[in-house]
Amino acid sequence: MKNSHWFQVVGAAAVTVGMAVNAPLAMADGDADLLVVAKASDPQTLDPAQTMDNNDWTVTYPLYQRLVAYDVSEDGKGLTSVVGELASDWSASDDGTVWTFDLASGNAFSDGAAVDAAAVEYSFNRLMALGRGPSEAFPGGMKVEATGDMQVTFTLEQPFAPFLYTLANNGAGIVNPAVEGKGDDHGTEWLSANSAGSGAYMLTGWERGQSLVLEPNPNYGGATPEIEKIRVDIIAEAAARRLKLEAGDVHIAESLPVDQLDALGSTDGVEVQNYPSLKVTYLYLNNKVAPLDNVDVRRAISAAVDYQGIIDGILDGNGVQMHGPIPEGMWGQNKNATQYSYDLASAKKALDVAGGASEEISFLYSDRDPLWEPIAIATQAYLSQLGLNVKLEKLANATMRERFDTGEFGIATGNWSPDFADPYMFTNYWFDSKRHGLAGNRSWYSNDKVDGLLQQAVVSSDTAERTALYGELQEIVTDEAAYVYLFQKDYRIAVRDDVEGFVFNPMLEDIFNFGGMSLSD
Amino acid sequence: MSFLNVIRRRLMFLILVLFGVTVITFTISNLIPGDPARMIAGDRATPEIVQNIREDLGLDKPLPVQYLRYLEGVVQGDFGNSIRTRRPVLEDLRIFFPATLELALTALFFATALGIPLGVASAVWKDKPIDHFVRVIAVTGISTPAFWLGLLVILLFYGNLGWLPSGGRIDPSLEMPTRVTGFLMIDSLLAGDFQAFGSALKHILLPAFTLGFVHLGVVARQVRAAMLEELQQDYIRTAKANGLSRFKVVFTEALPNAMIPSITVLGLALGDLLYGAVLTETVFAWPGMGAYVVNSIQALDFPAVMGFTVVVSLAYVLINLAVDLIYMAVDPRIREVS
Repeated sequence: MKNSHWFQVVGAAAVTVGMAVNAPLAMADGDADLLVVAKASDPQTLDPAQTMDNNDWTVTYPLYQRLVAYDVSEDGKGLTSVVGELASDWSASDDGTVWTFDLASGNAFSDGAAVDAAAVEYSFNRLMALGRGPSEAFPGGMKVEATGDMQVTFTLEQPFAPFLYTLANNGAGIVNPAVEGKGDDHGTEWLSANSAGSGAYMLTGWERGQSLVLEPNPNYGGATPEIEKIRVDIIAEAAARRLKLEAGDVHIAESLPVDQLDALGSTDGVEVQNYPSLKVTYLYLNNKVAPLDNVDVRRAISAAVDYQGIIDGILDGNGVQMHGPIPEGMWGQNKNATQYSYDLASAKKALDVAGGASEEISFLYSDRDPLWEPIAIATQAYLSQLGLNVKLEKLANATMRERFDTGEFGIATGNWSPDFADPYMFTNYWFDSKRHGLAGNRSWYSNDKVDGLLQQAVVSSDTAERTALYGELQEIVTDEAAYVYLFQKDYRIAVRDDVEGFVFNPMLEDIFNFGGMSLSD
Repeated sequence: MSFLNVIRRRLMFLILVLFGVTVITFTISNLIPGDPARMIAGDRATPEIVQNIREDLGLDKPLPVQYLRYLEGVVQGDFGNSIRTRRPVLEDLRIFFPATLELALTALFFATALGIPLGVASAVWKDKPIDHFVRVIAVTGISTPAFWLGLLVILLFYGNLGWLPSGGRIDPSLEMPTRVTGFLMIDSLLAGDFQAFGSALKHILLPAFTLGFVHLGVVARQVRAAMLEELQQDYIRTAKANGLSRFKVVFTEALPNAMIPSITVLGLALGDLLYGAVLTETVFAWPGMGAYVVNSIQALDFPAVMGFTVVVSLAYVLINLAVDLIYMAVDPRIREVS
């Protein structure tokens, strides 16, 4: 009797397990209602007023609308110019300090509440009151006021030329004022894991570390999205992301290394798409420490680096050499500015002019970007040809950032991508002597004339004048070799061939226009 | 009575251990160069924004004050808010810790269920092919990196055969069962959702195998050594002389005694599995504490790191306590000494 009882239990368990395990594996491919994106890591927070991370923006950007949005060309390319999104029209005062926006009617948050001027006022006041990273894109002292039910006015303390473009930033997302009732922290904790926007999609689920689910906002004011569900799967291991893409379990796999992308190029059903990007990789040359405080040493270093060798050898050819600080694709680039190329003879000549350099030069890098280590090793080898003694220091990323801020380094690697589509991002941040350290001027460069040009450029509302000012600036800073301008790396992404309508915008890396995308049958 | 005394003594010891852990972790965390406020603010933030965040988080206060505030919170069950996720650390751990524990326990079950029979067989048929086979398994397990083995089994069972999923805890298209224990397999059974149970079971097989494989060899070798020693004892010879079958001699006489030293190994193995799950979790996209704590360390998210350390330390001490109690239960000699 006892044995028979055990047999029954074991038998029932075996049947249960057998039935359960026999359920088919879920496949995304072929389901036209579900788009799956594989990302390497979970978002940190979904509050647009808090997050500074493109990884979070994949989810947050489609949840919210902004006053303006990046435009798309007639042939379907993402542009850096902006058009109205929530705003139907806008105007600026002659001195550029007062901006008035009229809101389009018919936009609504996912709970049905209309997007009106009060919501815009609330969102910007909340952003500035919280005072977190995203608020930094906007000028201090900015006042935002609803000057009508559907009209909002921004008043700046002084002209800020890129202002219009800052409004397309993730941090400028308009939040439903109802979040104020979610706790006593302006809804911060609640918004970190929920959505309250008027974007094409809303967040309907988040299993931490596993997946997030977005579904269409039923009250969205634009065209109804074709895809009924977006799932963002968190898969840390690149090889696993690749396998799932190949198997058709995901449609888009982000952040794959170069070798995986190359291998996927010949896989049936998968396309590896390449886009010119505005993300740049460069070397900080600490202008305050010897021997890099000598402009001729910096020129020598700039001429000793084999730019094309790095692009071909480390990027597998998927990038272009920078031509000064402003990248290709951003207005204001001056093609007449000095572009260094690998020329050992002129490098040695410059070093001779400097009288040589015997000091040890520290070179900081971290494993934040897998490209940094090969760049550091290559640079050490290039500079050894000049007899420069470069000591590599691999640090934890947080420690390296601390050293940038205190200026305790010789050379270091870094990446930079713009928060808004204006040359300001590559000039005022990089060269303004008030931004020494991590804030942007990581070469600790100082030049009074350059500071003056930067000040003039930021208050001018005349694009031609600004182009001229930035052009002059580029000639100075490239001649003085403030940084080593390495490359613009292509944005590469692996996508299943049934995904249609994806528009890459160089201002929105890791962000997808889900609302305009579809899946072919 | 002695059981209670041991528990009481060990729980007092537990408080001291946890206090020590918080002091050490807090000190080390704050010695690391790097500013959590800067991590939150982003690289381009002005000093004013960074200072604003520092004040909000209380990072502008002297270190002892920060520690006392933290301790005050912990005593009241408040581990603070994560700097990275902006949510209560305890809430984050409540989500991630059960996932890690479920994986570790399943891996331990796998290592034990296979390791003990293999160890016994290896001792009974010493120097026979089965013994050599177990030796190979043990050496392979100890010398195989978990991430490599993980990728290999994903490639085979997901990529080539298509039998098992490559990662995650459950098919994302399924409704998650109501959280009761945090163990997905148990919660799905409690909810009567066999489809979710099957999916959870399928999802845990590969990571549990990968994680448990290292310990499978250790358990098998430990049981083998203990069994060989027991099989040489006089009482075994007596049992054989009394005509007990070989099966009974091995399984009812030798094995229970051989298991006593193995309990320590299993206890230590569970501890190892808890923090050793980090790599396995990464490869299998297992949403446990591994990825959470690694991301927290990189973001200088001290409250999250502290919370993780306290929870794992607590688990370690409790596992050791459980091992000691099991020792006492199975061995009267230890009970007398205690």
